[in-house]
Amino acid sequence: MIRLEDITVRFEEFTALKEINVHVKEGEFFTFLGPSGCGKTTTLRTIAGFIQPVSGKVFVKGNDITRLPIEERNIGIVFQSYALFPTMTVRDNIAFGLKIKKLGKEEIARKVDAIARKVDLSEEQLRKAVSQLSGGQQQRVAIARALVTEPAIICMDEPLSNLDAKLRVQLRNELKKMQRDFGITTIYVTHDQEEALTLSDRIAVFNKGGIEQTGTPNEVYNHSSTEFVCNFIGDINQLSEKTVALMNASGAMLDPKMAHYIRLERVPVNAQHSQGAWETRGSVLSREYYGTYIKYTVKTEVQDLRSIVRNDGVSIYEPGEKVTLSLHPDNVMSYPRREGGLA
Amino acid sequence: MKSVAKWLKPGQIFRLFGFGLFIYLFLGFMILPNINTLTQIFSTKTASGGTDPWAVIRFFFAGNMGTYVLNSLKLAVGLVVTANVVGISIVLLTEYFDIRGAKILRMGYMTTLIYSGVALVTGYLFLYDNNGILTTALANAFPGMNRNWFSGFSAVMFTMTFATTSNHMLFLRNAIRNIDYNTVEAARNLGARPLKVLFKVVFPTLIPTLFSLTIMTFITGLCAMSAPTLLGYDSINPEIVRLAGSSVADEAFPQARAALLSIILAVFTIVLLTILSAYERRGHYLSVSKTKAKLVKQKIDNKVANVFAHIYAYLLFIVYMTPVVMIIIFSFQTYGAIRMKTLDLGNWTFLNFFGKEDYSYLTSRGVYRVREGAVSGVFSNADTLGGIRTSFILSALAAALACVIVVVAVNYIFKHRKKGAVLEYALLFPWLLPTILICYSYRTYFNSNDIWYVGNANLYYAENVRLLIIIAYTVVKLPFSLRMIKAAFYAIDDELEDAARNLGAGGLTTMLRIKLPIVLPSVLAVFALNFNALFTEFDMSATFASSYGTSYAMVMQAMTREEGLYGYNVNASGRRAASTVFIMLLSGLILYLVYGVGARDLGERLAAREKRRKRRDRILTRLGLRQAG
Repeated sequence: MIRLEDITVRFEEFTALKEINVHVKEGEFFTFLGPSGCGKTTTLRTIAGFIQPVSGKVFVKGNDITRLPIEERNIGIVFQSYALFPTMTVRDNIAFGLKIKKLGKEEIARKVDAIARKVDLSEEQLRKAVSQLSGGQQQRVAIARALVTEPAIICMDEPLSNLDAKLRVQLRNELKKMQRDFGITTIYVTHDQEEALTLSDRIAVFNKGGIEQTGTPNEVYNHSSTEFVCNFIGDINQLSEKTVALMNASGAMLDPKMAHYIRLERVPVNAQHSQGAWETRGSVLSREYYGTYIKYTVKTEVQDLRSIVRNDGVSIYEPGEKVTLSLHPDNVMSYPRREGGLA
Repeated sequence: MKSVAKWLKPGQIFRLFGFGLFIYLFLGFMILPNINTLTQIFSTKTASGGTDPWAVIRFFFAGNMGTYVLNSLKLAVGLVVTANVVGISIVLLTEYFDIRGAKILRMGYMTTLIYSGVALVTGYLFLYDNNGILTTALANAFPGMNRNWFSGFSAVMFTMTFATTSNHMLFLRNAIRNIDYNTVEAARNLGARPLKVLFKVVFPTLIPTLFSLTIMTFITGLCAMSAPTLLGYDSINPEIVRLAGSSVADEAFPQARAALLSIILAVFTIVLLTILSAYERRGHYLSVSKTKAKLVKQKIDNKVANVFAHIYAYLLFIVYMTPVVMIIIFSFQTYGAIRMKTLDLGNWTFLNFFGKEDYSYLTSRGVYRVREGAVSGVFSNADTLGGIRTSFILSALAAALACVIVVVAVNYIFKHRKKGAVLEYALLFPWLLPTILICYSYRTYFNSNDIWYVGNANLYYAENVRLLIIIAYTVVKLPFSLRMIKAAFYAIDDELEDAARNLGAGGLTTMLRIKLPIVLPSVLAVFALNFNALFTEFDMSATFASSYGTSYAMVMQAMTREEGLYGYNVNASGRRAASTVFIMLLSGLILYLVYGVGARDLGERLAAREKRRKRRDRILTRLGLRQAG
């Protein structure tokens, strides 16, 4: 459906993207995830045509659109700020693209009404000015405006970042439902890993103008292919050399030259002994209470380790309490050490 | 062939045409005329026919030309002090301190926005002149007083102090309203007393605005025209205008002297504006907070201080309002009452606005009739109406032209950083040149049949001068328009343009349908401010001094001069008062439309429409014309 081949983008001296390769399939919800300044928005803007790559090609349905003008690409965009036109009513905002295409008045009205129904905007809301709507309603207008021209692809640039936490979660679900209903190929840009993991069919993790890993949420989370990815997604413990040595002494086969990580939820507290796991005792240093789960920091002989435990309402440990942590070598993710290391 | 085809694309041709036009206008109407003025200084002819490049310079140091410069400087320095004191006072009294009746006070302090220039100066003369209304009233109460108190330096200072606070009311008011009230509360919470808060927390945030205002006021004082001319004070500008109209037969090289004085003004302006822009580039104390709290007016706790603040506020209010109220009252008075400078409460008339009347008076040989229609209203007097019409058309055209040029230019400036900067400086260039220099340069340079690029037409000749005035008006208003409209463009989110392009709109459509509607309120505001200023301007039309370009202000001045002479214009003062009332209404209406109605966003407009609809429905229901529900 969309294929980026060796895209390189330069802003004067600065290389923003180097040899990016992405293949998004028809109907897929594809997310570009990464910290700010990593090149995810630049990639999106290259697909939409706002940025011309110095080398590489952009294909949509097999057609090379690298040099096609922005307005001929038929790619819908939901902008970070929504970019709704403040001098127009909601209806005029949605109809803008259709008017540019010089469609008949009745056809425009019919299409606007149809899309408004689908994104749940009332007739009364259509008559309002954009500034009279709430954040969530504005977002629906932005989506309707992007979809009404029936684009082949829709791109969303951090569309939830302007909303408060509760609305964000609520709209995230609506967004997913809408995408499923419309069945449209979607490219989604975000720096929020939770958003990426819950929404996406596949994720491309960006770092410093390159892609570190492309995969399903599960692949990216549980089988991070690089040290950056495993650090960026989810919370993680880096194991110290001493810990690795002790684990190897009890039968694990971890390469001491590499960097080793284990996710917080893979470090159970006071669990039943399982085959092959290495156990260590320590005392609870601090406790963060989240409701559904609890995060402990435990001081052991070798290093401080963090652990996330589901809140069962029974076994809650106080700071200072002695506990046993178990680490299974199968859950350890290992990477070649970087110069200087992370953490 | 391919490259030629590329060059012939409509976009390219348009761009090339725009570039050519820009070069033509910039060189032809900004650079060449002014360079011509500069060279005039060094090309004075001696009696024997040779040129003497240093004659004017020698004359300057030997004669009394220096006093004009000194007088202007004296006025500028004095004005900076008085206008800032009054300007800061009125803003603090209406926006910062809790003074009773602040809304009414503000209306009074803001009258200078619709009542300025020649109208204001002649209004002051009408009141404070040696036989003015107030002076007469005061002299009757205190027989010993000096009836000539309102003349020369003190009169100019007094008038200009209250005439130049408009900018304070616009910009300083804005700055003070943008103060984050949380900072005031924080200072109080940390133990600072109210006065300390004012000086240590509030004032520092106002300094950038005050600095700009000080420079602008200084330049205003330096380039003052209407007040010194009408009140009789020998500063630079009136002298330039006098010299420009003088001839070699009367005195030594008047044109070269006028040129030298304009260049001196220009040098001062350039130095001051360089300081200002260097200061502005150093950055400002911008508020860092994201959630600003609205300023709450401060009560003055000290009772005595509070009483004094109120007295001071209302004294200023009286000073601002008296001329306005008097002008309105006297515009409905008969010429007899005006002549006698006394209010005749039993006798009101519309004659100063509409209609004509013959004038006659009793002599020892019987009734003497002067020519027909010696008493006439604004809308019945051909001269006054002509001046208003000329000013209206020329100002409206120039104000609109300046806005159009600047909107196109700013759109370009935002798209092309480097080339845009050149364009921006070119448009700001007229700021460096005193208005009078530009007009003087146009008058002398285009008064010839040898300027090839305007088709060898003499632009100063007959009706052509109107075109020249429009160009001068436009050029003079470019820098101000650019600064204001550029600020408005900053408010456009980049993503809006991206969104429009993404939805299939081209550059022109994006400009017309998306960007222009957003900046339109600001553009209209700039148009209104330009129009109001040009409509009442005096110095430019006076410099051109052409009977084909007699502006409203010049008609006003003429009326003052020839009032009652040989039975002419018997009710000139009354008609002037009436025309001032008309101008105030017009300017006020424009400002209301632009700031009051035009500044509402779409949401507010729709909400207002909805409210009106509901009210109408309610009335219809009550009248039984419509079913309830």
